[in-house]
Amino acid sequence: MSKINRAIYELQSIDATAKQNRWMNQIHPLVKLILTIYYIVLTVSFHKYDVEGLLGMCIYPMVVFIIGDLKWKDALYRLRIVLPLVCIVGIFNPFFDHRVVATFGSVQVWGGVCSMITLMLKGILTVFASYILIATTSIEGICYAFRLLHVPKIMVTQFLLIYRYITLLLTETKRITQAYALRAPGQKGIHYKVWGSLVGQLLLRSMDRADDVYESMCLRGFNGEFPFGKPKKSAGGDVAYFIFWVIVLFVIRTYPVFRLVGGLFV
Amino acid sequence: MSHIHVAVENLSFSYEKNEPILQNVSFFAGENDAIGIVGHNGVGKSTLLKLLVGLDLRFEGSIRVEEIPLEQNTLNKIREKIGYVFQDSDSQLFMTTVEEDVAFAPRNYGLPEAEVQRRVTAALEKVHIEHLRHKAIYKLSGGEKKLASIATILSMTPDVILMDEPSVALDPKNRRNLIHILNEFDHLKIIASHDLDFILDTCNRVILMNQGKIIADGDAKEILTNEKLLNENGLELPLSLYKSDN
Repeated sequence: MSKINRAIYELQSIDATAKQNRWMNQIHPLVKLILTIYYIVLTVSFHKYDVEGLLGMCIYPMVVFIIGDLKWKDALYRLRIVLPLVCIVGIFNPFFDHRVVATFGSVQVWGGVCSMITLMLKGILTVFASYILIATTSIEGICYAFRLLHVPKIMVTQFLLIYRYITLLLTETKRITQAYALRAPGQKGIHYKVWGSLVGQLLLRSMDRADDVYESMCLRGFNGEFPFGKPKKSAGGDVAYFIFWVIVLFVIRTYPVFRLVGGLFV
Repeated sequence: MSHIHVAVENLSFSYEKNEPILQNVSFFAGENDAIGIVGHNGVGKSTLLKLLVGLDLRFEGSIRVEEIPLEQNTLNKIREKIGYVFQDSDSQLFMTTVEEDVAFAPRNYGLPEAEVQRRVTAALEKVHIEHLRHKAIYKLSGGEKKLASIATILSMTPDVILMDEPSVALDPKNRRNLIHILNEFDHLKIIASHDLDFILDTCNRVILMNQGKIIADGDAKEILTNEKLLNENGLELPLSLYKSDN
């Protein structure tokens, strides 16, 4: 499978995962969206040396991956480009912050090391929280939730159309590169002399396609607001799920739960 | 559904000056007409259909749908009555699953969800693709995409159907099914196609075009069996008629 094909396939398979008929997928999109935002806000609010507290926040993705029947392998594969970038963010901290913040026996731990770990953890956890949202909620569901939060419809529509445009752009890229490869047997990649015309073609063709799609939408009554359908109303289970996580995450954020539990054994 | 008609008068259109695509095209499409628009490549068949649904308003002349002139402020009203099937199904289908795409129009028109679902089911049953309801669009074959495209307009319960090359990519069985669907649709339908056999099976009237002009407008069998007229305008007899001759 070519790289472009794989990219299209991955995008579509995330869509398919989000549309599966599983318990987590049935939870109201608004509940999942607010919970994700709440989780991200709490996670990034930890102090830069608070590795211990931040570890407690791992509970959310761990539990949700299990109850949502999500696969770690798939998640790590799909996030293989983002996660290393997130990890790189704090990599230079140990060089700048030599303040000793903890000692383990004779080993001194610098503040820079702690802040690097917390930055990495914050990045990884927020990326996983976002992944959980998109793997269990369709893009239409997320947009519907945005509208319920009164995000302006023009922004939501733009967000949705850009998402659609990515697939369209990839499809056109696939067609062009396939046509090129069939007439350039044995050649690896695309010769630099045709880069300009291919990129120009790609732009023109994808714009044409986008135009056609927009026309098709207009012909079917599109007037600026996307019809997201009506997800089922929030059931008691959705509310209970929401309240449970709000309380659990608040407790983890407010109290050093791990230290307290650990203290029981020391 | 109500029966409506379309009146086109002196319609001219060009993308660039001195390169007219359509020149003084006039015809009246009655409420029960089944019109086939035929002509060789580049005569303006698709452009004519696009103008009829107001996809480009830079034309001269007039288009009236049920006495409503086609212009910017009447577009929505007119488009509610007309279902347009694109030549390229990839341009028509943009949602992630067949069900969502077919439900797009009814939802846009603000119908209750129960009615939306009823229409989706009816449209999918009509084109025999109920089994594809939850299938992702990208996984469909060319023919399945075409049928899904047709379902997306059937769910609008349109008063007029416009189709641009509807038989492309369909296998014989689905082609026959589409002919059956179109013949059952007892309102105005206008079909642009190179497939003259398809036109012969679905239309009672043919408009033959060449160089942006109407060359002939009349009974489908009369025009499509006139070999001289077809040859003069870059076409050939329908294959089914060739077979019977030889």
